[in-house]
Formats: sequence, C-alpha cells, structure tokens
Amino acid sequence: MKLITAILKPFKLEDVKNALQGAGITGMTVSEASGFGRQGGHTEVYRGAEYTVDLIPKVRLEVLVDDKDADSVVDVIVKAASTGSIGDGKVWTTPVDQVIRVRTGERGVDAI
Amino acid sequence: MSTRERRERSNESDRFLSQLFHDAAHLHGGANWGKEIALAAVGGYGRGELSPGSDLDILFIHSGKVPAELLKAFVNGLLYPLWDKKSVDHSVRTRGETREAASSDLRVATGLLDIRWIAGNVDLVASVQLDALDSWRKNSKQNLADLQKNLIERHARAGELAYLLEPDLKEARGGLRDIQALRAISLSAVVPVPLEKISWAEGTLNNVRESLHIASGRGKDRLLFQEQDKVAALLEYPDADAMMSDVARAARSVDYLLDYTWHWLEHKGKDGLGRILKRPRITTVAKNVSASNREIVIDPLTSLNDDPVVGLRAAATAAQLGLPLSLDTCIELSENLKKGDGILPSPWPREARELLISLIGAGEAMVRIFESLDQEEIIFEWIPEWMSVRSLPQRNALHRHTVDRHMVEAAVHAAKLTRKVQRPDLLLFAALFHDIGKGGQEDHCVRGVRLIEPIAKRVGFDEKEIEILKDLVLHHLLLSSTATRRDLDDPATIQSIVSVIPDVNTLELLHALSIADGEATGSAGWSEWKATLVNDLVQRVKRAMAGAEVAQQPEVSDEQRVQAEKGQLRVTLQEHSSGYAVEVISPDKPGLLSIVAGVFNISRLDVKSARTKTLGESAVMYWIVTPEPHAPEVSATKLHDLIAAALTDSKDVEEKLIARAAAYASIPSIPVPDPEVEIFTDAATDATVIEVRSHDRPGLLFRIGTAITQSKIDIRSAIVTTLGAEAIDTLYVTELTGGPLSSERANEVASHLKQALK
Repeated sequence: MKLITAILKPFKLEDVKNALQGAGITGMTVSEASGFGRQGGHTEVYRGAEYTVDLIPKVRLEVLVDDKDADSVVDVIVKAASTGSIGDGKVWTTPVDQVIRVRTGERGVDAI
Repeated sequence: MSTRERRERSNESDRFLSQLFHDAAHLHGGANWGKEIALAAVGGYGRGELSPGSDLDILFIHSGKVPAELLKAFVNGLLYPLWDKKSVDHSVRTRGETREAASSDLRVATGLLDIRWIAGNVDLVASVQLDALDSWRKNSKQNLADLQKNLIERHARAGELAYLLEPDLKEARGGLRDIQALRAISLSAVVPVPLEKISWAEGTLNNVRESLHIASGRGKDRLLFQEQDKVAALLEYPDADAMMSDVARAARSVDYLLDYTWHWLEHKGKDGLGRILKRPRITTVAKNVSASNREIVIDPLTSLNDDPVVGLRAAATAAQLGLPLSLDTCIELSENLKKGDGILPSPWPREARELLISLIGAGEAMVRIFESLDQEEIIFEWIPEWMSVRSLPQRNALHRHTVDRHMVEAAVHAAKLTRKVQRPDLLLFAALFHDIGKGGQEDHCVRGVRLIEPIAKRVGFDEKEIEILKDLVLHHLLLSSTATRRDLDDPATIQSIVSVIPDVNTLELLHALSIADGEATGSAGWSEWKATLVNDLVQRVKRAMAGAEVAQQPEVSDEQRVQAEKGQLRVTLQEHSSGYAVEVISPDKPGLLSIVAGVFNISRLDVKSARTKTLGESAVMYWIVTPEPHAPEVSATKLHDLIAAALTDSKDVEEKLIARAAAYASIPSIPVPDPEVEIFTDAATDATVIEVRSHDRPGLLFRIGTAITQSKIDIRSAIVTTLGAEAIDTLYVTELTGGPLSSERANEVASHLKQALK
C-alpha cells in the first residue's frame, strides 16, 4: 500500500477532487497547509509600504491506495493540479505497512 | 408531553412509594414506627416534575429513635421492590443530620428547597422543610456565592444550550439546572426574580426533555443529532429546526433572566460608578438617560412621544459605557412601543441612526444589550425584519450560533476593524445585517439585498450609501470563495472582482466584513490560512484599482468669501436637527481648529461634523454641534467672545479642557481599537491628506489640532465626520511655507499624531 501526499494550490483542490473521484478514489484527507518551495515567499508593494508573504497558503491532500494503483493515481493528481506555472506544488508517495479501518477492524487492502 | 403528564407520572410514583412505605412499616415492627419515619421527595421529583427517565430522589427522615437494625430493614424493604423498576437516589437522615448535610453540600441544600411529603410523619417533613428554607435565607450570601461558582463551572463544561448542535438540556447554560438555580435565588428572598418570565421556557425545555426520554428510551438529557428528528415529531413540530429554534429561544430567555439576576445581586445599592450607597444615586449620562445601580435607565416621566429616540439613546449609551440596560426600563419601553408610543419616523432622524451605529460598534458590550432588546421584543419594533432570523438555527458543522446571534457576533468582530475602513458605520451596519436573507429557499445573499434596502432606507442612509450596503450584502462571500477557489495569479480572477466592486473603499469594507463574518463563524469557517489568501487577493485587486477616495475639500460661497476678506471674526448660530449649525469666519492662525474645537468642548457642545477651509488670511468653518445634557444656554455672542479670547490666549481653554477630561475619567468605558492615522500623498496636488480614524471622545479634535500645530504644519482644510461612536477626520495639510509634505515629514507627523491620541 502507498500513501500519496500532494501539496497543491488551493484553487486546484476542486479539480483534483473531481479527477480522483472520476478515477474511482472516494476517500481522501484534505488539510490547510502553508509553506514555500522554489517559488519562495513574495514581496508586494502597496501604497509605498512593502509587505512580505513568507509562507504561501497551500492545500495538503492525502490518499491511501493499493500499490498497483499508486502510479496511475499520482498521474491523475499531477495532471489535474498542473497550471504550468511556478508554485504548482509537489506529489510524493510513501510506503505504508499497515492500514486498519477503525469501525470494522478490517486490515490491509480491505481497509482502503 | 406536558406538565400534566409529568405530574401524573409523579403522582403515580407517590402512590407506589406510599404503598411500599405502608407495607414496609407493617412488616418491620408494626404501624407505630410509621410515626418515627417519613418519606419525602426532593429535587425535581419534589416539584412533581417527572420525566420517564428521571431518577426518584427520595429522603427518609427519621426521629433517631428507631433502632439501627430496624431502620436498615425498613429502608431495604422499601427499596428492594424498586431495584429493577426505577433508578432511585436515596438518603436516610434525621432532622439534625439533614441540616448538617445541607450546610456542607449545595446540591443537598437546593434539593431540599423542593421537599414534598409522600408518606409517614408529616411533621418530620415540615420541620426539615422549615430548616431548609431558614438556613438557605440566613446563609444566602455564602450559598449564592457557591451557587454562582457552581454555575460558572457547569457552563464552562456544558456550553450554551441555545447554540450547541447537540446540547445537554439540563446542564448547559440556559438549561433546566439554571431554572432551578433561579428558583433557589428567588427563595433566598435577596432580590425579586420574575420567574413568570421563564414559565414558557421551563415548559418547553421540560417537554423536549420528556420526549427525548421517550424517543431514546433512556434517561439521558443530551439532545443528540440522531434523536432530534424523532423528538421533534413526538412534539408535533414541522421539523427539527423548528424545535431547535424553540429550544434556543427558551435557553436564551433563561440565560437572560439569570444574567440580570446576578447583576442585581452584585450591584444592589451601588451608584453608576460602583460606589456603595445607602440609597441608589443617579448620574445623568445622556439626555433623559441615567445610570443607577450600575444599570442604564430611562428617566421616569420621559415621554416617548416627545423623545422617540430615547430608547436607542439608552441602548447605545449602555453599550458604550459597558453597563446593562435596566430590566424595568426595557419592559416599560417595550410596552410603550407596542402600544404605539414613541414610534420613530421613517426615515429615522440622524441622531437615531448615529445611536444605532454606536450601539452596534460597542463590541463585546453590545451583545448583552442586543439580547435585552431581543428578549423584550424591542428590536422588532425598530427593525421588524429581525423577527425572520430570530433564533433561526443553522444546523451545520460550520456555524456556532443561530443566524441572529451570528450577525451580532459578526458586528462584535467588525467593531475591531473600524479603523481599517473609511466608513465604519457602513461596515458595522452591514455586519449586523449581512445574513438577514437567511431562512428562505433562495440564495441568502440575493434575498439579503432585497431585505437590507428597506431597512437601510428607514434607518436613514442615502441612495449612495444604500448601494454600498447592497453590494456588501450581495458579495459578502465573494472574497473568501474567490481566494480559496480561483487562481490568484490569473488576471481574470482579479478582473472578476474589479468588475463587481466599484472602488477601493468598498473593497476595504468588503475585506473587513469578510474577516468579521469569518471570525464570527468560528475556526471551521476562518483560519490564518484563509485570512492570508483573502488578504493576498485584496492586495492584488487594490493594485488593479485606482487609489482610495478621500473626503473632498468643502466649497466656499461668495458671501463667505466676501466676509473672509474682511479678516474679522464672525460667529453665526442656527438651530439644526442635531442641535446647532455654527459658522465661524475668523482670521487664520496656527492652532485655529483646536481653539474653536476646544471652545465648543468647554461650552459642552459635542462636535458632530465640521468642514473648514483656509481662504487667504482667513478661515471659513462650518460646524454641527449637539449640546450635552444639562449644557448651559448657548448664543452666537457667547461663542464669539470665547473664541476671541482664546485667539489672544488659549491657555484658559486648555486648562479647562484638562479639568473636564479629569472629571470624566471615572465614567466606565469599553475597550476600543487604537486610533489609526493614514497618509495619502497622491490625493491632492497642493496638500498632503491625513486621515485620522478614532473612537469619538470628548476633546478629540482639540488634541488632533494641537498635535498638528506642534508639528509646525498648516491645516488648509478639515472635514470632520462622526459616524456613531467613530470619528473620521480628514485634514489637508501643508508646510507653513506652503506645498505638500515630503514623505518623511508626513510619516513623522503621522507618528506624532498617533502618540498624541494614545
């Protein structure tokens, strides 16, 4: 099993969600996140006063998938999240040892 | 589901217990022992209020003469048949033991206040009842202090009944335990408690609780989401929302009475400033409005028809001083308004609108006042549209409050943002009504626009202001939804905002409203994360828009121009709807603005607005001032002489102002945001524009004027506006030698002004 984590631009969340649902993924966890990568924080000038945005708001999306689905799901996310400009985010996968559904006690792929 | 059914259930239990008592007495030592023992009901059972899942709270009182073994056998004999039928909470005590238990345990003490005989020796129960009431009254000070501590802890633990999605009907704030607390306070006879005000609430909450016990088959009092539909159906409500609305209304009326009761307990016999007096002292705080016992009252004999604004004045004054409105005043005001007395004309006079704004702008202190206006149904006489959102529940995970309370909370948050906008009055008004469109089928923003228009018109806003208010209501979700769902790097996103928001001033208002709305919604609806996104969007839109608009310099008439050329002081005075309109034409000199403002202040005239302009060697000033209550008669000659004297030597005015400020320092006040000073270098070609946004307070303009004079710059023109309790002063300033200020100089002046206004 794999945990797919994606950091996205907030406005792309809707598109990615729809694309994942289209690919048969129904469960996901979404949280508000802030950070910066190559895009860096940016400086704005307004009425002569400069203010710096250090951390840029992003959305963090997590999906648990079976190993065999991991690559295709990553592709779905990347395709839906891309605008081609800097700051589009990142997607990565992490191996997962065990998954348990709390309500039923199901384990492994059954619990996804 | 009614009081009668609960009473019947209680009577049935009485009969059952009474039979068991006689059986046990017969079995254990004959009927004689029956004279040494009595069985009584306490707590809710004592009041004859039994829900299906309620415990039977019973007390065995014995004379102390019954041998211990026998007593044990008797009590067990009575309780055994009950073990699988009822949940029983029992105790066995003599009269003396009961007294002792009551003195060390508040729950026992309050439970005993409702004691009721069931079986056995009546005298034993009567004596315990007498002791209970006697000791409750004698130790009322300690008892009520303990009760309050207990209440505060319970409220912190259980939350507010009116606003929780799954509230505990008994424990939560405004719930059944609070009703018991009110009854206990009433029995202490320290203050009168008008319990009849909550009889509907008590019936409603008990009915819901009883139905909950029936629907769930358990004795739990928490109204869980999954039970709400079933309970509503049992009580024949159209849906769970209608029931929760009634629960909220009931809880609010209980909480309201409890709030007042504590206030009376705490401030009995103290004057408006908290000093303890044998007889309450009354301090006038506004026209026909006084503070007494740390409450705001409308002066007796005030005719509402002569002074229809007095209700709003009392509410606004109470909110601005952070004091409650007296319950008697509220009741009387409500009765009069319902009779058709003191109806405000449409549109409202300017004073009424200003007072409404200063009420809304009082922050946290406003919540209590607004609750009074709601509970006594005063607000509906002023703004009938408020009825449609009264206690309207929003059963989703996003909102914490009912619609009406959410809007009140939004206004509280907006009050912290009044310095961020040029029109704090529009911000506060829009915050209080932004969700007025809720409760219908159509989009609440669209419906809200339709509803706010007549309200704003009635309150007296002009066409242009109404257009802004409509924009604010229609688009109050626009910034948050755009910031989180659309690409801020895409120029089309920015253009989509620019195309619907007419100018920077409206954008700033909408930004502040989004923050206030979001913060009032709670952490589920607003976060730092969202705030950052919205702020980013607003800054990008601002850059795409033209600069902010500032108040324009006033026009001068030909007659004024001729007069100004004479270079002589002339003061004319005219009656005005807000008090007086005063025109001052004077030879110009540094500090003229603060001198004239200072003269008004010591003459006890409150500056509402001013427009001044320098013309060559003279200045033309037009002021609107309102006399304070009990202000001495004013005339043009008197003002002329005072200004003339101050122009020669202003020291006297300064000293009097300092003395006045010191005399009013002990009046209570509420926390307000710090003043803000903004500089616009590009708003005029020949002058720098300074905009001061501050809470209005006596002598404000004098202080601003003095700080400007100390900075050695000249005021070319000043536009002073009071909006509710907020003041916006726009100053066109130049160097003494003429010309606008350099940006370093402007910043220097701004920081000096900020310092002076602290």
